[in-house]
This record gives sequence, C-alpha cells and structure tokens, in this order.
Amino acid sequence: MQRQPLAEWVRERDDPKIAHSKPEALDDLTVLDLSYNSYGGCYCSSLLSELGAQVIRIEPPEGDFLRTCTPYGLLYKNEGLVYLSEGRNKFHITLNLKDPKGREMLKSLAGQADVLVETYHPGVMDDWGIGYEQLKEINPRLIFASISPWGQFGPRSGSKMPDYENIAQARGSIQYATGEMLPEGKTYDECPWAVPTKAGPWISWASAGTFMAAGILSALYYRDRTGEGQALDVATAEAYANFDDWGVLIYQEHEYIVERFGSLDQGAWIYCFAPTKDGAVFIGGLRLEMWQAFADMVGKWDEWGTADFKHLGDFMSKEAQLKWAPLVFAETRKYTTDELVAMSLKYGKEGRLAPITPVIAPVCNPMEAMTDANWVDRGMFIPVDDPVYGTVVVVQSQYKMTETPPRVKWVCRPVGYDNDFIYLKHLSLGPTRLKKLREAGVV
Amino acid sequence: MAEVTWRNYKENKNSRPAPLKGIRVLEVATLLLGPGGPGFLAKLGAEVIKCEMPPMGDTLRSLVPFGFFFREHGCGLTHPNLGKYWIGLDLHKPEGQKVFRDLAAKADIIEENMRPGVLEKWNVGYRQIKEINPGIIYISKNGYGQWGQYADENRPSNDGGSQAASGFAWMSSFPGKPPLKSRLYVADAYGGLMGEIPVLAALHYRERTGKGQYIELSQTESLMRTMSWVWPYQGITGEPAMPSGNRDQCVCPADTFRCVDDTFVAIAAPAPEEFKGLCTAMGKPELAEDPRFKDHLIRLQEENAVAILKIISEWVRTMTFDHVMSLAEKHGFAASEIRSAKDITEDPHFRARDYITEIDDPLDGPMLNYDFPVMMSKTPPRINWSVRPVGFDNEYIMAQVLGKNKEQIKQLYECGALGKWADVKGRRPASTWDGKSGLILSREPGYTDGGRGE
Repeated sequence: MQRQPLAEWVRERDDPKIAHSKPEALDDLTVLDLSYNSYGGCYCSSLLSELGAQVIRIEPPEGDFLRTCTPYGLLYKNEGLVYLSEGRNKFHITLNLKDPKGREMLKSLAGQADVLVETYHPGVMDDWGIGYEQLKEINPRLIFASISPWGQFGPRSGSKMPDYENIAQARGSIQYATGEMLPEGKTYDECPWAVPTKAGPWISWASAGTFMAAGILSALYYRDRTGEGQALDVATAEAYANFDDWGVLIYQEHEYIVERFGSLDQGAWIYCFAPTKDGAVFIGGLRLEMWQAFADMVGKWDEWGTADFKHLGDFMSKEAQLKWAPLVFAETRKYTTDELVAMSLKYGKEGRLAPITPVIAPVCNPMEAMTDANWVDRGMFIPVDDPVYGTVVVVQSQYKMTETPPRVKWVCRPVGYDNDFIYLKHLSLGPTRLKKLREAGVV
Repeated sequence: MAEVTWRNYKENKNSRPAPLKGIRVLEVATLLLGPGGPGFLAKLGAEVIKCEMPPMGDTLRSLVPFGFFFREHGCGLTHPNLGKYWIGLDLHKPEGQKVFRDLAAKADIIEENMRPGVLEKWNVGYRQIKEINPGIIYISKNGYGQWGQYADENRPSNDGGSQAASGFAWMSSFPGKPPLKSRLYVADAYGGLMGEIPVLAALHYRERTGKGQYIELSQTESLMRTMSWVWPYQGITGEPAMPSGNRDQCVCPADTFRCVDDTFVAIAAPAPEEFKGLCTAMGKPELAEDPRFKDHLIRLQEENAVAILKIISEWVRTMTFDHVMSLAEKHGFAASEIRSAKDITEDPHFRARDYITEIDDPLDGPMLNYDFPVMMSKTPPRINWSVRPVGFDNEYIMAQVLGKNKEQIKQLYECGALGKWADVKGRRPASTWDGKSGLILSREPGYTDGGRGE
C-alpha cells in the first residue's frame, strides 16, 4: 500500500495553523500562578497555559515588577516586552496577600485549583498561612510548586537574597566555563570580552520553569492514579546547572576543572564557530572523515597531510585544538558565510570524500532567524491577534502535537484585567461586592 | 511549615514511589538530544529501555572530552543515560524490528532522534506502532522538525547548528565580537528536557481519553522559545535584537563585574529597595534618587544603563569579592560568585539536598551526579544506577518483558537481532568488571559472554 509521505501526514495533523480545531491536553486544569518578579514562574505557567490549562495570574495590586523588565526600558502599549510574551493565555487578577482577607480569598481559590505556582522566598507563604501544609488541609489534591533561589530546604534556603537570571546563571557552572580565553600576554583591561560569559537569553530561569512544569506534570500523573497532591521544590541555582554534562564527573575523577574554551569544543573536533568574511559559521563534524572533508574543501588536502589523518582523538586535546583552530579560521576568513555553506553542499556532491561533507551552518542574528522561510512556514512566528495589544509577534510553542497541539490565544493582559470575570466565576463576587474589596485595598 | 514538608527528604527518598512508576519508555536515540529526555523520565521512575545498535552503540560513547574517561567510558555518556536498561537491538533486521514491535505493544512512550522517516523505514514509525498500540505517545526530536524546507532537504543537524540558527549564540556574545558558542550543548540539553513537557501532558490526556499521539520537537525552535522579548522587540522596532555580553538589557543593574583581585562577581539590583541598597553599599545613596536612575524603566534606557553600570564597575574594581558579598547580604541586593564545576561538586548545600547525589553503582562504583532538579515531597525522583555497556540488559528485558526463554534468546543472537558490546573501550565493560556485577538475570557463561570472542 502506497503511504502518504510522512512529512505531509504529520503536517496535516500538527501544523500550528490548525491547532484551534483540536482538543487541549490540560483544559481540565486550573493553575494559580502567584509568582512575583520571576520569569521562571511565569514561564512555567506559560508552558501549562499553552496546553490549555486555565492559568490565573495573581499579582499584587500594583502589578508584578517583572512587567518593568524590558529591553532598554521599552514599553509597547504600556507593557514590558518580556511580560508581553509571557502573559500568554493567562487570566490576570490582583489580590493583596498582605491583607488577611486577601489570604482568605486565596484559600478559596486554592480549594478549587489543581496547581499553585509560587516564587516567594521559603517561609513567606507559610507565614501568610497559605503554605503547602496549610493549603493541603483545604485541598489534598493540590500540587504546590515553589521556585526559589536555593530551594525550600538545605543550609542556604534561608537566604533572603533576591533572585535574578544573571545570578542564577552565575551559580551554575556554565557561565564559568563559557567565554573567550584571555589571549596570551593580554589583560582583562585590554580584553574585557574574554571573561566568563553568561547566555544572553534567560535560559536559567527558563530551565527552572521548564523543570518545574515537568515536575508538575509528573505529579499530575501520580495524582491521576492516586488522588494525592504534593509539594514541589525547584531551586534556580540547581536547574540550569543540571545541563552540565560532564563537569562534575571530570572533577571528581580527575580533579580537572572545566575552563573557558571560546567557541571551540572540549568534547568534539571539528565542532566550533569560525569567523568568515562577513560573520561566522558553525562547523560540525563528529567523524574523522568530516574533518578531512573540511580540510579538502578549503584546499588543504596536501598541505595539511590530510590523507594521513588517522584518529580523531589526535585532534581533540586542548593543545591540538589550539594549534589547528587558527589554521582553520585563516581559511574560513577567506570566504563569506554564504560561500562556505554553498561549498559544503557542493563538496557533498562532488568532493573527493562525497557524500561526506562538513556540516556548515550560518550563525544567524535573531532577525535572520525570524524571517527565515523555514521557521515562518513552521508557524513559529504566527502573529497573535490580541484584543488589547493588537497584532503582536511572539514566538510560538516549542513542539508540535497531532492530537492536542499547543497554541497562543492572547499574549498578555494589563494588571487586574480579569478581576471581574475570575472573581465572579470562582468566588461569586459580582460588581457590588468586588467594589467594596477594591476600595478596601484587598484586590 | 516548609520544614515539616521537607524534613529528612534525603533520608526518606526511597520510602515513596517515584511519580512515573509503571510507565515504560522505549528509546531509539543517540548523542544528547534524544537520550536526554528519557534520561529525565528514568529519574522520575519510568522504566526506560534504551535500544542501541550493536556492537558499537550510541555515538555518544565516543564523546571523551579532552580525552577524559570516567571509569573507562567516555565522560559524556553518563549524564543523559542514568538509570536506564540497555539492549543491543539491530533494527535493520526484521527479527530486531519484531522484538521492538513486541516491546512497543507494551510501552507507553517511544522517543527517537533519527533523521525523519528512518524509523518508518525500519517498520517501527509512529504510523506502524499505533496500529498495534493506539495509546502510544511517540516523540521525534531533531534540529529542524519533521516537515518544512530544511526537513525536506534532509539537512543534518546538531547542537551547534541550532545554537547558530536560532539566534541564541548571537544573543550570547559581546557586542562587536564574534558570536559565542555555549560551553554546554545547550540546544541538546534544553531540547531534551522540553520534549518531556508535551510527552507528560499527552500522558495526562491519555489518562482522560485513552488516546495516544505523535509529537515532534525541533531543538532550534526550542531555543527560540527561550528568547522571549527578542521577537516582539524585532516585530515592534523592525530592528534585529543586539547582544550585550554579560549585561542584561531587561534588568538594570544586572551584569558581571571584576573585583580588585581579578575574581568575578555577578550583581543584580533592579527593584527599588535593592537598588537603594546597592547605592548605599557603594557609599553613594544619592544615586538612588538621581532622575536618571530612580525609576527602573528610565534606568534601563541605554545611556542611563551604561552610566550606572560604569559607576558600579569602577566601584567593584576597588573591592574584594568577599567584601562585595558581605555588602550584598547586608544591603539586600543580589550577588554571586561565578561558580565552577568544583564549586558545584563540593557545594554542601547541594549535598544536603541530595541534588548532588551519590550513586552506588555495581559497575562504576561510587560516584556523584546531579539528581532531577525537582524535589517532590510525595514522589521523590532518584537515580538508582549508572550507565551500562552495549546490550548489557538483553537477557533481563527479553525474559522479563517479552517472556522469552533461553532458546529464543539464543536465536535472536544468532540472527544478529540482539547483540552486545564491541571489544572497544567505552563499549565494553571496564577492565575491573568481574563478569557478574550489575547483571540482573543471567549470570551464566555462554550466550551472555558479551566479548564476542575478539
């Protein structure tokens, strides 16, 4: 039987353009997101809201400080750009948790919720009488998810130091070992860029939020089977550190500390970024033949004695990489990025070692990524038609599903936008009662 | 109260079930992106059966950073592969495909990271498996997704390509300097984790409806999603977002600074009280009232941000690291050292939380590694064992899951469907192995002698 091509079959079912016609995996869940000044908390609840959960963002009456975290102070329709992206699909209400009445209302909401996400320092929720031990008496099915700098227990959990992305990145071991090496004989004053370098995107907070979402969904599976909720604890200092693949192993076995190695790679050759006439490319070849193909492609088959390359291991040591990298870069600088990409494709067809060829990919700026026809076609940047903010480009979900695809329905909400609806729906508070609470500073 | 919830967490880890108890996962994956996700599920208590192509197995086994081995296997192999069962199964062979299909009939989740269409060619693609197990949740992970121009071109992909194509690397460098690759395989690591969100959500949906589904994840798209403000920024301004080194463009001040002793310190103090605290610590409390700096949104503007960061930078240059840290504690702003792998390994806090956990492995011996970074009060994740040579658990899985007897297993070896390790370092057991330790079922010689007589 002739099958429909797989790509076509998959696309018919998971193209984001038809996501609205399909069911949602988590549309039976209510999530309370109390996170404050934490991209990790917001990102976590975003992942659940993209899958259909009703997420209620609970902000203090003045709004979340995170709304002011925006590049160069830029606001769009009075909203910061980080929040504009991460308010997605959520209902936004205000509630003053410093007020006892506000805490009673939170308890009522928690009694109806499946998941609660919070990012206050350990002990704050307890002191307010709305910690896990207190809320589980009201709702034993509740999954109570806490994200904090050092976690809920352990010697440093009592620290009151605030948490930020660059701080969490520093606490993992990744920033330490990422960055250009200080050129020999140079000082930091001469090369202020040759220092431990953090990732630009908020990957550390995103990791904390994503791990927590995975924890919540695992706890949900357990609850589906047993009816039992539980408390979950993520430390931002631990989450991003978890992506370290071998630093801890090498240190315990060899007492060797992984250090900065520029855009080369301690685990592979040839596997690096290389400068070109007009930018940079990534060169990837995990096999000896791909390295040989690269040498051949840039016309160095004879000069480099490429035919005699025997083991990739001969090129993997630090010394070997530092010897070979400048030779490679001298060659890549002779060409534009596009020329090198084209050369690798051509080599794969006509080269001496074809079809073996090095992987060469352009290092894109995010505008090039955003306008790349492949990603546009795959629906990554479908503009969202938002009732408040108009047509806004945000990035869509990270994966595609055939039965319950994720989706973005709206991007954000001003502070307290959904007070009327959510308080009416969950606490039967109509306009008259809500007005009084508003005047009393409770919502 | 939190003390009550988390009291003796470390000591009591094994007194409760892990959350995914009863879930069976099949993995056909190599390197980091593919194995990472099932690796997380193993820590969450799923039974993960990793299928490797015998006798060489996962290409990741060749990843030996700077030539460092760990107990005679590559250091790279361990992290994404803890706590799995290992079978050597040749999916090119019809008999191997039959074994896989029999396992798939009894599985909940299948994870793979081959090029698009490869598993279908082996008769174990989603469309084929759902015929025998409609509830199966099946995820494919790769660089560019399952459809679209790059998938059509069958482009090879890997972590570095995704760091480059997504704009992530561009955003992670110093202005005017070449783009910087992360020390991490960050696209692999994060993509490996991200894929488990839809997988676990699909599990919930299956509990509700009985329906399985197919999921695809592109690691490039996965990194794009972490870049938040970059996309609306570009959409609104029409300009490409620009990198800014260690400075955070959305939080001010937030940067990495150099102390008098050439150690580095990360500092952040954007909220009003934090910023006031920092200014006081610098002996310049008046800066907190300076119209350029008073309000966070105004302080973030390029000129103002540059000005305040310069002031802080000059101050930190005169300070020792310890002094900055003590002032941060005292005045309520955030500061941290830039911690190395040594700092992490030896961190007493991580040890007390059992985040850096000690594994007592029958093959590798005692070792430290990261546990799953979500502590769960009722269902603690945990790591029970380390990695294994190719095909190490063949006998156990064949007998336990498929009920095969000695003769049937022998036939599978004879036709080449099942296999064990090549006599190569990193594929075979360590030289110190006694021939028995870690074997679950069969401890007799004969068909279990893996060395293939070479």
